[in-house]
Amino acid sequence: MHFYQILKKIIRTGVGKGRFLMAAVGLGIAMLLILVALQVHHNFNELLYGERNQNERADFLVINKTITNEMMGNNALSTFTPAEIDDFKKQPFVDDFGVITAGAYNVKMVANQLGFSTELFFEAVPDSFIDVKTDQWKWQQGQQEVPVIVPSDFLDMFNFGFAMGNNIPQFSEETVSSLSPGIVISQGMRSSQFNGRIVGFSDRISTVLVPLSFMEWANSVYGEGQAKPPSRVIIKTKDPSNPVLTDYLDQHGYSTNKEKTKYSKVRVIVQTIVSVVGFFGIVLLMFALLVFSMFIQLVIASCKKEIRLLITLGAAPRQLQRYLLKQFVPLYIVIGLLALVLVAGLQWWAAGLLAKHQMFVPSLPGVITFAAAVTILVLVYLVNLFAVKKHIAGM
Amino acid sequence: MEIQLSAVVPVPLREKVLQQQSDIWNRDIRFLPAQTIKIKAPSGTGKTTLVHYLYNIRYDYTGSISVDGKPWSSFSKDQLAAIRQQQISVVFQDLRLFDQLTALENIELKRVMSPQPYHPQEKIREMADRLGVSHVLNQSSATLSYGEKQRIAIIRALMQPFQWLMMDEPFSHLDEANTEKAAKLIAEECRARNAGFVLTDLDHDNHFDYQVTYLL
Repeated sequence: MHFYQILKKIIRTGVGKGRFLMAAVGLGIAMLLILVALQVHHNFNELLYGERNQNERADFLVINKTITNEMMGNNALSTFTPAEIDDFKKQPFVDDFGVITAGAYNVKMVANQLGFSTELFFEAVPDSFIDVKTDQWKWQQGQQEVPVIVPSDFLDMFNFGFAMGNNIPQFSEETVSSLSPGIVISQGMRSSQFNGRIVGFSDRISTVLVPLSFMEWANSVYGEGQAKPPSRVIIKTKDPSNPVLTDYLDQHGYSTNKEKTKYSKVRVIVQTIVSVVGFFGIVLLMFALLVFSMFIQLVIASCKKEIRLLITLGAAPRQLQRYLLKQFVPLYIVIGLLALVLVAGLQWWAAGLLAKHQMFVPSLPGVITFAAAVTILVLVYLVNLFAVKKHIAGM
Repeated sequence: MEIQLSAVVPVPLREKVLQQQSDIWNRDIRFLPAQTIKIKAPSGTGKTTLVHYLYNIRYDYTGSISVDGKPWSSFSKDQLAAIRQQQISVVFQDLRLFDQLTALENIELKRVMSPQPYHPQEKIREMADRLGVSHVLNQSSATLSYGEKQRIAIIRALMQPFQWLMMDEPFSHLDEANTEKAAKLIAEECRARNAGFVLTDLDHDNHFDYQVTYLL
């Protein structure tokens, strides 16, 4: 007969077994919650930043200060100071940063073919921020023809709003591109005339763009000497829905295209839910640990006489500790494995489901999930070991 | 293994002990290895107390008891367990069997307590045969008579290696013939281990060839 077999008859671990099993179930649920929370977090990151899920590597946001009633009448308040620009550039979510330079002169566009002329404005951004790729996007001093990029919304507004309402024919992008409206830039009495050429339509930047070289020349000739501080900036970012970014914008009273940052809200909600689930998991784990150590105390207390006699007869405290741990630990390992298997199953199922929507997550739980399961088991083991040691030593 | 007692006085018996003459209390004595020692004393003079001190499960004394020059108080719990498994065995006066185990399991417990048992399992039955308790081996020890329990406790004590065997009135409930058999078995086992023993009793007896007799 083995020593432990005899011990089994002496140290009855059946005392309060119901409570122990409840705690074991609690441990299982706690592990499941914690692992699921970690795995969801992991998956969410994978969806946002994973290689396979990158439809577009980067996004561009045009940012300006929100115009409030207090700011009205004081244009300086809506411009970015050099300090603000420096701070913005330093933010971790900013991959590239450019200012939108506004023209310091008046612009008038005359389209004789269409029979209209309009007051206009020009702005310019560094070329790397422009989504229209064309060879014509260049200008050097002396060049009569000025390439212009207009927002695609402009054409839509003209075609579907203005033209329809005023019985004017609609124009295709090609037609508009073939026009060369006259452009007059002026300041006071001085003026220059150019031929405009619409070389593209931008979905990214909703302003009328001219090449930076033209802008710099025109500002130096027609401007009032010193450069105006920018009132709009453009940033390149990997992740416009990054809550850190939206927080930064909110804090500084900046605004941008809400459409692009709206996922930020979803992310905050998901992260909150995941955190809450994880938190409950941890609380439940704490309770399970508490019940386990109370259970061990109960078992040892209920066999106090027997354990004392065993020690009197020469049983080493270490032998008894090992025996007691052996009664509980295998169950913990089984629970841990079950939780892992369940999470793996869920992950596999979720991966299949998401793949149908062109969203890719790994079909196996991440390393972090396994590591967490092992960590929790080690924690449970240590708490048990501590409880057993403490109460056996008290004999 | 040598056991030294120096000026040991049990705290509860202090007054009494200091008034009377004793060979043990408040003296410096040594139990030399392999000595066979008889301690004779009337009831109430502390026989059981002494055995408990020697086995180190009671500590309410002044003076000190050392094992090979090391006082009992300096041993850790695991060291004590090792000593109780390998070097000192005991038959308590109150026997201390587990009621929830059978007689056989009570003996087996002690046999397999250390990873390398001293005796093979067959030895249990052999000893039980010699002491006339083989028919009760599979009974719950709670149902045994005191005499049967006493013999089971003796067999249990003989299951392990030891250099000292402490026995506290081990034959109190045995008749002459059974005492004879038990004493013979104990003497054989001690000889095989080259071990000594300490036996306490009320009266004079000739069960063993005692080398030393102390009056408590």
